[in-house]
Amino acid sequence: METAVHLDGITKRFPGVVANDNIEFEVKQGTVHALLGENGAGKTTLMNVLYGLYEPTSGRVEVAGEERDFDSPRDAIDAGIGMIHQHFMLVDPMTVVENITLGNEPRKWGGLAVDRTAARKAVVEIAGRYGFDIDPNARIEDISVGEQQRVEILKALYRGADTLILDEPTAVLTPQEIKELFGVLEELTAQGKTIIFITHKLGEAMRAADEITVLRDGQRVDTVDAGTTTRNALAELMIGREVLLDIDRPSTETGGVVASVSDLVVDDDRGVRAVDTVDFEVCAGEILGIAGVDGNGQSELIEAITGLRAPETGTIRLLDENVTDNSRRQRIEAGMAYIPEDRQDRGVVMDFDLVGNALLGSQHSSQFQSSGRIDWDKTREHAKTIINEYDVRTPGADTSAASLSGGNQQKFIVGREFERDPEFVVASNPTRGVDVGSIEFIHERLLELREAGAAVLLVSSKLKEVQGLSDRLAVMYEGEFIDLVDPTTTTESELGLLMAGQQPDDTGGDEREGESDLTEDPTDVTTGGERV
Amino acid sequence: MSVIDHARRVLERLVAASATERILISSAALLLSILLGALLVLIAGRMTTCTVGDAVYYFGTGFCYNPVLVFDRLFLGALGDPFSGAWSPEGQFSVTLRETTLLIFTGLSVALAFQAGIFNIGTQGQMVVGGLATAVLVLQASSVVSGVIGSVLLIPFGVVVGVVSGGLYGSIPGILKAYSDANEVITTIMLNFIATGVTLYLVSGVFKDPESPANRTVPLPEYAQFPTVIFGGRQDFSLVALACGLLAIGGLYYLLEYTAFGYDIQTSGLQPGAAEYGGVDAKRTIVASLTLSGALGGVAGSMYVMMVLGTFQSGLPAYGFDGITVSILAGNNPAGVAFTALLFGVLKSGTTVVQFATDVPPQLVGVLRGLIILFVAMPEFFRLVGQRVVDPGSKPVATDDGNLEATDE
Repeated sequence: METAVHLDGITKRFPGVVANDNIEFEVKQGTVHALLGENGAGKTTLMNVLYGLYEPTSGRVEVAGEERDFDSPRDAIDAGIGMIHQHFMLVDPMTVVENITLGNEPRKWGGLAVDRTAARKAVVEIAGRYGFDIDPNARIEDISVGEQQRVEILKALYRGADTLILDEPTAVLTPQEIKELFGVLEELTAQGKTIIFITHKLGEAMRAADEITVLRDGQRVDTVDAGTTTRNALAELMIGREVLLDIDRPSTETGGVVASVSDLVVDDDRGVRAVDTVDFEVCAGEILGIAGVDGNGQSELIEAITGLRAPETGTIRLLDENVTDNSRRQRIEAGMAYIPEDRQDRGVVMDFDLVGNALLGSQHSSQFQSSGRIDWDKTREHAKTIINEYDVRTPGADTSAASLSGGNQQKFIVGREFERDPEFVVASNPTRGVDVGSIEFIHERLLELREAGAAVLLVSSKLKEVQGLSDRLAVMYEGEFIDLVDPTTTTESELGLLMAGQQPDDTGGDEREGESDLTEDPTDVTTGGERV
Repeated sequence: MSVIDHARRVLERLVAASATERILISSAALLLSILLGALLVLIAGRMTTCTVGDAVYYFGTGFCYNPVLVFDRLFLGALGDPFSGAWSPEGQFSVTLRETTLLIFTGLSVALAFQAGIFNIGTQGQMVVGGLATAVLVLQASSVVSGVIGSVLLIPFGVVVGVVSGGLYGSIPGILKAYSDANEVITTIMLNFIATGVTLYLVSGVFKDPESPANRTVPLPEYAQFPTVIFGGRQDFSLVALACGLLAIGGLYYLLEYTAFGYDIQTSGLQPGAAEYGGVDAKRTIVASLTLSGALGGVAGSMYVMMVLGTFQSGLPAYGFDGITVSILAGNNPAGVAFTALLFGVLKSGTTVVQFATDVPPQLVGVLRGLIILFVAMPEFFRLVGQRVVDPGSKPVATDDGNLEATDE
């Protein structure tokens, strides 16, 4: 088999840091090659070198056997390299065809006008060749994230890419969309395209790739065959030590009710009902999980509980106090910690350094003030504690949040929120974009908080995570809790069906109107799949 | 594409520039603007006629205007000729400081709002309102007390009147923005017109000085005006007022850096979503920061009345609008406002010196001023643009890649 891409002894230095240290990387044509590593292992840097965004400090780049020297992505694209970034580079109000052909539009009238018919034809032709099912006239803002990703892939193909680099492509996708993506990758490689797939998820690397190269701390650890390796072996290569992949959840005594929600109705930004009459209670020493496909009202529910969105009706109680009309600040002061869903928009102030970010949410607390003045020394100490305890990889506390990778931002947020000594923790996808070693760590901390008597409300789109951590698991579908199950006795496929709005033993197959009175008695619901 | 890539890299470089680099860039820009200005002066000097004695000669060619003299007057003239040996505090330098003082307040007013992410164009209106309120109320109060005690009581009283009236006027766009989502740019511009119109009506009617043909209030007695210290009274400048300005800079810096309220303001300005998450009451912060911004504008009005004119007369100079440029040039940083207000003070006062000393038309001096401001502002402007264009989320991470040691400090 021919070599599509060969990176020979790539070293990339940044001031004070060696991001890539003499890395050998070879990808065979027509295969899927996973580049696996923790956050900050140097995966993205290496691919940015290949894509012409960075010039390597030393080392050679070979594409299809020819040595290349890329000054910019334009050169890389000309050499047949395409990159699909984690954050899509699409113009929302424009159509699929317009986005794909943007900058390379077919021309007519001597180059004076865009030949829309030809553009459309070309896009339909490429989409057909690789079996993409996409409406060429749909606007980007109207299509799903998975479809947007396919538009990105089509864009790269349209520009003549033979090797596609996908940076964490599954981070934004639902399980179903991930499955579809892997199908697309298979189709692409069957037609001779080469895929490089950056990820920190072991399972996905094993599922989708033919070969896996593992990076750690800027160095290549090994390249293994995906078919013969095991999850544990990969994890060990990645972390450098043995990792416990399974969540060990000790049983604890549940205490009294810490937080409760009754008859909660919440509308989304457009005024459409997002949460429809939800009730539940979370007790001290308990993790209540909410599973569901993204966009079924979880975000709005969490925002209403944490005080970022006013509910239409219903009550939210925290420690026997009605907090429905309380401000966000009052809720923080009452002992609520919150790991937000969107870390870069809410969780950190990107332009602040980590010291400033350590104060977010506690700026009015007397803990960080001395006689009405913010005690920056104390705050700095606090930031350093978070950095050390939660293994935030950063040159120091004075680094801006914007220059941290997503996973490290997440670890910092988790650290800040957990260090509040909360009574009630609301965690929305607490391990999104975080590497295996840190996932394990965050899970342990969550369980520690639970053991210490905190009540935890956990929303996650990772089924394994909610299932492994939760004492009780609610499934949310179209704004309602359609079921509350015991996570230990329910299978993944049963949960999958529930998440799709069906009861596993539902004979009629019709969707049920949820009068899910889950608050009545949490001990009552134990068996999986049973009606509440 | 490659042009865009290149532009993007330049922007990234600008965004990443350190404080020292930014000062160097600004200095280089200043130098460049002077060189370009000198060239313009030479060209203009070729296109006009003058007597042989007035002309200067470079490379055997005669020019009517001397660029060296123009820039010498513009800068050294504004500073009162510090190297001539005849420097006196009564001279042009006090005019420069007078302008600086007023620009400090209007600059701070705009800067504070900017810190909260609000574009307050209404500083001018807030200044007008503060000025009239001060003129009217201090005049009323001056009939009660007089002499030294009068000064001690009336001047702080006047400043407080400026704070309260300007603050109240500033709170209007604040409330409109917070509770009905009205764009502050529109409302503050409209409120400027309202302030100008209503004060004109008042000073040409109820509050008009019957003994003056101008639309102005009865002048304040001497003891109700800022006392002149060292700098004599000829140029309407008081060191006390400048000290108030510097105090305001220090106070605002403290507020932003060391108080929870300042943290709230900055967070709201940088990232409203994160501010909300961090428990910042968005509505309250909007109203409070615009009120405070208006209060600073109001003080500028008090200063103008109690230091410069001694009365309120319709048609106040546009210090409020200059404040916008002063603030943006300073990167909306209170400490920076001190320097940019001084630069503006120098340019404003130097303009009159140039007009006295040379034949250069005032329009050309205006062009030179504009060039200097434009050049000094552009790098900062592109930095602001760059911060929006260069999305930090998608920026490849350079600082944490594989850096394990750094955390073990």
